[in-house]
Amino acid sequence: MIKKEGSFKYLEIKNISKNFGETFVLKNIHLDVFKGEFLCLLGPSGCGKTTLLRIISGLERQTNGDIVQDGLLISNSPTEKRDFGIVFQSYALFPNLNAKQNIAYGLENKKINKKEIEKRTNNLIRLVGLEKNSDQFPSQLSGGQQQRVALARAMALSPGLLLLDEPLSALDAQVRSKLRNEIKLIQKKLNLTTIMVTHDQTEALSMADRVVVMERGHIAQIGTPFELYENPITPFVADFIGKMNLLKGKYDKKNCVFYYLNNRFLISQNKEYSFLENCLLGIRPEDIEIIKFRKNIEKEENILRVKIKEITYLGTIFRLTVVLESKLEENIFVDVISNQVISNNLKIGDFIDIKLKKEKIKLFESNL
Amino acid sequence: MYFKKNLNKSFNILLLKILIIFVFILVSFFIIIPLLPLFLKSFSDNKNNFIGLENFTNYIQNPSLTQSFINSLKVALTTTFFSVLIGFIYAYALTRTRLPFKKFFNTFSLFSLYIPPLAVAIGLIYIFGKQGLITQGFFGTIPGFDINLYGFNGIIIGEIFYCFPQALIILVSALNLSDQRLYEAAESLKASPLRKFLTITLPNIKYGLMNSFFICFILSFTDFGVPKVVGGNFNVLATDIYKQVVGQQNFAMGATISIYLLVPSILAFLIDKNFQKNEASLISGKSIPFKPRKNLIVDSIMFIFCSLILILVIGVFSSIVLASLIKIWPYDISLSLQNFRFSNVAGNGYEPYFNTVFMSIYTAIFGTIFVFFTAYLVEKFKPLKKIRMLIYFFSTLPIAIPGLVLGLSYILFFNKPSFSVPFLDFQIFNPFSLLYGTMGILVLANIIHFFTVCFISATTTLKQIDKEFEEVSESLKVPFYKTFLRITIPLSLPTILEIGSYYFVNSMITVSAIIFLYPAKIPVSSVSIVNMDDAGDTASAAAMSTLIVLTSLFVRLIYEFTSRNVSKKSSVWINPLET
Repeated sequence: MIKKEGSFKYLEIKNISKNFGETFVLKNIHLDVFKGEFLCLLGPSGCGKTTLLRIISGLERQTNGDIVQDGLLISNSPTEKRDFGIVFQSYALFPNLNAKQNIAYGLENKKINKKEIEKRTNNLIRLVGLEKNSDQFPSQLSGGQQQRVALARAMALSPGLLLLDEPLSALDAQVRSKLRNEIKLIQKKLNLTTIMVTHDQTEALSMADRVVVMERGHIAQIGTPFELYENPITPFVADFIGKMNLLKGKYDKKNCVFYYLNNRFLISQNKEYSFLENCLLGIRPEDIEIIKFRKNIEKEENILRVKIKEITYLGTIFRLTVVLESKLEENIFVDVISNQVISNNLKIGDFIDIKLKKEKIKLFESNL
Repeated sequence: MYFKKNLNKSFNILLLKILIIFVFILVSFFIIIPLLPLFLKSFSDNKNNFIGLENFTNYIQNPSLTQSFINSLKVALTTTFFSVLIGFIYAYALTRTRLPFKKFFNTFSLFSLYIPPLAVAIGLIYIFGKQGLITQGFFGTIPGFDINLYGFNGIIIGEIFYCFPQALIILVSALNLSDQRLYEAAESLKASPLRKFLTITLPNIKYGLMNSFFICFILSFTDFGVPKVVGGNFNVLATDIYKQVVGQQNFAMGATISIYLLVPSILAFLIDKNFQKNEASLISGKSIPFKPRKNLIVDSIMFIFCSLILILVIGVFSSIVLASLIKIWPYDISLSLQNFRFSNVAGNGYEPYFNTVFMSIYTAIFGTIFVFFTAYLVEKFKPLKKIRMLIYFFSTLPIAIPGLVLGLSYILFFNKPSFSVPFLDFQIFNPFSLLYGTMGILVLANIIHFFTVCFISATTTLKQIDKEFEEVSESLKVPFYKTFLRITIPLSLPTILEIGSYYFVNSMITVSAIIFLYPAKIPVSSVSIVNMDDAGDTASAAAMSTLIVLTSLFVRLIYEFTSRNVSKKSSVWINPLET
């Protein structure tokens, strides 16, 4: 866990539940956020991540549970009494105020003198790099610039907590990756505790110190991007963060062997799995090797003979979709570097042998 | 465990709750509660003794009164049919064809909105009446033609004039929401024009169509002005109420007939509301608006049709103006301004006119503030959901309350200095009774009478303003009222002006809601038109009508001018990156 020295629990989410009538949106959420941390709530739409963010802000009220921010119980505090800034997906910039007025909107309501407001507004404008655009109205700004105004406005009152609700999803790919870095830089510079909601795993992995993967109203896994990618604890997390092939079969615990159809796979003995014999084998596409076609494959470990069904070019790599002759409907994805495909002259319909790296194989409990 | 700090109390939410409850009390007292004395009255005799259903049975047993009910229905159904038909064809021409001079037709089609129904009827007298231009063949120059104006025919023509623009407005906005892509898809599938009309056009406007049926039905079922002037012996419910209350001072029977007038209106209202509930927009934000193609035959037919309608509208208006300028129609057709002196009408001179102008200004100012604030509280906030839903329902109700019924219920409610609590010997002072006999009650009646249309248009605008503005403000610790003043009002300014001008124009021309209410010391011009017409002084009535129409048009011009400036100023916020 990446945890800075001396950092403390800034926000504690305790047993938060939310239901609309009969339907549960959030169920018993426990989560601690540390001071200065960049936390991402990641999940598919409808998993409850935005609801959780809105509960933290007070814009939505939880059915059960408590929230403690900086040592204060804020569970029932109205939004205006909570200490946070927020950026919405739509930005919600006031269309009749220019960039500067938007940023100063919260400051002007405080009892601060005009010079101080001017100074702080200008600092914020400089921080987000909008010196040239401060007199323009939102409709005259590009999407990325609007985003920066929204960010500066949210930070104007120097909040202890910054909430970002899908802040980049309305932007095109190039602007998005540029802003990702900028937001991250500003966040680190100010040591500002930040929670961001996103459904984009690349965004979450590249920005967050820790990622909370959510699935249907509960937390599936919390961890650093590295932990989540390397050690997903459920098939859902495994397939949501990156790509994971999941094969259903039987596990022989004693011999550390997994049976899939009539193939056997040796499983690394370093890992201990405690579940019943029916389970899922997980392997990422990049952890499968192509080996040369051999005559006697039975003696080799963890090898499958497959037929190429599809070849998709993805730039530096090719993604092959392959199938077993005995199970044509189950696709297995294999990522290979482009050179290998070209030099071996692989074509659709070819038979190849693939090897599942033993140490990369994971087993998951099967709830199917 | 955690150190205590008063984080849980919010002054703003408390203030908001108080405001919502305050507005709830106001709309209850202005819309719903005044109807109660009316209901009670319909079950009592004129000495306030409870007599159960006797009034209603008396009514049914009186053949001339039941005939009025049938007449009113006949009028309403016929008017609705023709108004919607004409409105639809006209709207179709404006939106779906290459009609030449479209802008001209568009502007002048709504002209009759500024002519009080009373004045339309007076105009009709000068065209089709006994001495009318057409009846007498333009002062005997050509053979005349008598359409038998007084009675059913006159009422129908007048009501169509009154209702057609209302249907037109609704249908134009319904037809404007179109998607070119649907028509292109249909064309690529080789659909015939009729099939396209039946499968794309009609389904898209069914809610608008239904809504225009309902509006026209209520307006023509309850209108008082037209039947009063050209009804002759053809009695309808609205004129019956007037006769019972003003002629015979029989409030109990007036209240009973009001119920007969109110029930079908409320019924139509509920049917429409239930129908509109299912409305889901079939047209998405990505739609490409329909672009009509040239079609010489259709365009020419539409041109002729629209021209005929406009000639009638302009003809009626011109005949009102002409009648007001002619010395003694048809005997001395020299021009003069003598009809504008109003000296022979109980010596009131211009007083009714100025009273009406002031009443309309007050209605526009207070009405706009009240309606916009109500819509804002209902639309933008989360607390007290049930109460806000009730406010919403109450606010949509006035459109189904006929003006005469509203006026009568206001008299019965506001003239009581106190209410007695049933079963207890206890009296509560009625603060609203202070309004009785003042200009205030006229303004209030107008505000409520036209409340629904204004409320709906305010709500629609507020819905389009991002709800997250309020949430952002909360997160920036800016109280809601500051955001209301600084963001919401500037963004809604075009609609606010529109509501103000709607209130002004309608207060200028209305008669039904205030004819029972106006205090003797505050005569108003629409009522004086009725009285002048009753006294046979039709020329002065025409002159007063001319003044009303010109004033309304003048205010509308000011509105157009201001709103153009406003939209110029705000275009920089609205047009994204177009320059």
